[in-house]
Amino acid sequence: MFKIVKKADIVLFIILIVLGLGLSWLSIAGSVTGQKAVVTVSGKVYGSYDLSRNQSVTIKHKGHTNKFSIKDGYVQMTYSDCKNQVCVKKGKINETNQSIVCLPNKIVITIEGGDDKYDAISN
Amino acid sequence: MTRSQISESAQRTRRLTMSAMYATLALIFTYVEFLIPYSVGIPGVKLGLANLVIIIALYEMDFRYAMAINLMRIALSGLLFSGIFAMFYSLAGGVISLIIMWLLMKTGKFSMIGVSMAGGVAHNMGQLLVAAFVVSNIKMFVYFPVLVFSGIGAGICIGIVAYVIDKRVPKQLFK
Repeated sequence: MFKIVKKADIVLFIILIVLGLGLSWLSIAGSVTGQKAVVTVSGKVYGSYDLSRNQSVTIKHKGHTNKFSIKDGYVQMTYSDCKNQVCVKKGKINETNQSIVCLPNKIVITIEGGDDKYDAISN
Repeated sequence: MTRSQISESAQRTRRLTMSAMYATLALIFTYVEFLIPYSVGIPGVKLGLANLVIIIALYEMDFRYAMAINLMRIALSGLLFSGIFAMFYSLAGGVISLIIMWLLMKTGKFSMIGVSMAGGVAHNMGQLLVAAFVVSNIKMFVYFPVLVFSGIGAGICIGIVAYVIDKRVPKQLFK
């Protein structure tokens, strides 16, 4: 059975594993607890919300509705009218490398540091 | 018609019938997979049963036939089950993965398992590219590691099964 695996297969396997690990490392490294949630709809910034304030926001865009809530510094998508509900199942996030994506409704929620210096640069 | 013309046209008919059967089989696999609920929470993490059919078609028939079967499956499953929107993801994933598998197969250095593994990763990569494009957000790539690993795993599983099936299916079916 294992005779069918060729040398090139193993090399490719190792390359892909290393690639996967490298990318995991990239996405984990430099992650800190963020201070605000930035909502993007179709690539455009929809709004920025302070994580320290508990709130519930409804996003309406082209006939689609999504709702998310901010509670105790965590963001969670609570409702989406999309078909796959991946964004709702994603749960709550609070770190800068995390994001909630609702592909059918083209909504992305990302976490940003909210650091003063960072704001000055991005503004 | 001469005898050779008759046999040529018979062969074409045979291949056409085979392709149609393969497309149907791939479509059924897509549907079976659609019925299984995945609770991983990440879109794109799946086994890719249909690739079983595609990879065997690629090895036993031709790149063109495999591509035609694949496109047929994607179009039909898009219209029947997943919707037009999801069809574009399947299209990107399916076409990129098939081209990668074809190129690797042509080198002759890889076994079916390696080819299938690369195909699995390429499929997820293609889907992610479309996803990143749709939401215009580069942060989509946080999904990349998971999709690379799931692509490797699913690709190896499918590759092993495809190899076993390929050994068992009588070769004259494809002639």
